Amino acid sequence: MSAFPILSRFQQDAHIKTVEIEPGQTMDEVAAACAFHSIGLHVADKPGRTLRVRPTTEDDSAPPWPRDLTVEKAGIRFYDCIDIYFEEPQ
Amino acid sequence: MLERSEWYDIARDTNWTPSYVSQEALFPPEMGDPYGIPTEEWETFDEPYKVSYREYVNIQREKDSAAYSVKAALARSKFHDEADEGWACVLKLHYGAVALTEYQACQFQARMSRFGPSPAMRNMSVYGMLDELRHTQLQLFFPHELVHRDRQYDWAHEAQHSKNWAVLGGRHAMDDIMMTRDAITSSVMVSFAFETALTNLQMIGLSTDAANLGDHTFANLITSIQSDEARHAQLGTPTIEIMIRNGRKKEAQQAMDIALWRVWRLFSITVGIPMDYYIPLEQRHMSFKEFMHEWVINQWERQVQDLGLERPWYWDIFLLDIDNHHHCQQGGIWSWRPTVWWNPPGAVGPKEREWLEEKYPGWNESYGSYWDVITNNLLQGHEEKTHPQCIPIICNMCQIPISHRPGPEWGARAYQREYGERRYNFCTEVCRWIFDTDPERYKDHETIVDRMYSGEIDPPTLENVLKYMGIGVISEGGRDGHDYGWVEGFRAQAAE
Ligand SMILES: [Fe+2]
Ligand SMILES: [Fe+2]
Ligand SMILES: [Zn+2]
Repeated sequence: MSAFPILSRFQQDAHIKTVEIEPGQTMDEVAAACAFHSIGLHVADKPGRTLRVRPTTEDDSAPPWPRDLTVEKAGIRFYDCIDIYFEEPQ
Repeated sequence: MLERSEWYDIARDTNWTPSYVSQEALFPPEMGDPYGIPTEEWETFDEPYKVSYREYVNIQREKDSAAYSVKAALARSKFHDEADEGWACVLKLHYGAVALTEYQACQFQARMSRFGPSPAMRNMSVYGMLDELRHTQLQLFFPHELVHRDRQYDWAHEAQHSKNWAVLGGRHAMDDIMMTRDAITSSVMVSFAFETALTNLQMIGLSTDAANLGDHTFANLITSIQSDEARHAQLGTPTIEIMIRNGRKKEAQQAMDIALWRVWRLFSITVGIPMDYYIPLEQRHMSFKEFMHEWVINQWERQVQDLGLERPWYWDIFLLDIDNHHHCQQGGIWSWRPTVWWNPPGAVGPKEREWLEEKYPGWNESYGSYWDVITNNLLQGHEEKTHPQCIPIICNMCQIPISHRPGPEWGARAYQREYGERRYNFCTEVCRWIFDTDPERYKDHETIVDRMYSGEIDPPTLENVLKYMGIGVISEGGRDGHDYGWVEGFRAQAAE
């Protein structure tokens, strides 16, 4: 299977954006793909902070997926909505 | 000659009992009344605005000659040579969105005049049908004068024949409420929810600003149209009264709730963005929010309750949308400006932002954070960074990019539904609820984004998508209407 669109709900952005990702990509790569369409365009960067990815839920409480987990292993499908957000500094 | 009052009611209410065909064949329920309300009940239909055909023709003839004489003056006037591009946007957006929608309204009125179960309704909607035809003609003829100056005005005629994303939104809603419902349901939806709540307010809001700007042609045109709307919008009230009396309150309520939301989502773009962004600051007479609260929240809501209906279940979501929807779409339309047929100015310089913060407390923290990034890109000479290389996901009901308040509150959320083989995305609970009222009705439609992945736009390259939407075909797409002049205030501030 090749690239397919997911819905990128990027932290603080006004729009939910369609971003194409691939089954073999890691969560860090997914975060970077989504960041490309939000940071420096509609959302300010937060240098030094790590981007994490989690499934979108009603109360924004889902834990993030491991950073090296692949799209395929995470079970992300066509038009799934995911949150991309800056991890709070430890 | 008899006075009108001596013959009007009896002439208007004359009905007949068919003998060659059945009542059902003459008035199929799916075209007229699907609720089975008895004919005697429909014969009580009464609207306050009584007019005879002779009077109607005389009045309309006068209105038309007044409107067209202003049009003749327009041909000689220099107004459009000097007008702000922000105002030109209002006109291009208005004509593209409205001109042929009036023609759809004409067909909706025609359906009532043929299939309406009440003779009084059929009588009244004949005038409504002629009104809407007049509105179509006027709003095609006026922009035609401007096409030789600027090809984007051609969308007045072309928009409805195109597959531009902004047009799909209007068409989906109007097909739903005007074109594909029976006479009774669409009378609740269009005459009451659309025309009573929103259209005639649109006319009032825009005509004041037009007059302030000195565009008396447009002010006159829409005032003339509004005088017709005020009359034929009254078709909805007696329809609802009869439905409630005959145990159909639930159906009337649902029809009103669906239509108000559908039209609201469009209306806040065609009126909200102009009032709060496109019209130059000095000429704004009130904010869109003030206008909505005065005319819709206070006045229309009272009408709803007087009629015996409830305010829509989503009232709180609606109030929140008044604070957010058009601000989001101003950002979205500006960011994806090459996809539209007008030149939206960003119009968020220091003074404009001060005004927005005053009218919408919290604007700076939320919408300001979005425009800060854009402003910085422009100040640093990175215009290319103001053009997204992706597309926003689009709502499967309103066909508008799924967006909400940016910044710390981060309100954007996709409301999804699985149905059959497909997954649908909605902007709000309300759009999803409308889908749920009748999924079979809505399930086959594809948004512009769906079409990029279903093979309808193949291959979905930027160039192909724009062409599919009529950009570069009907006219060039949009650019910033003020050539980014609005960022200069920040440069001056920084220099101080
Ligand atoms: Fe009209
Ligand atoms: Fe109308
Ligand atoms: Zn929607």
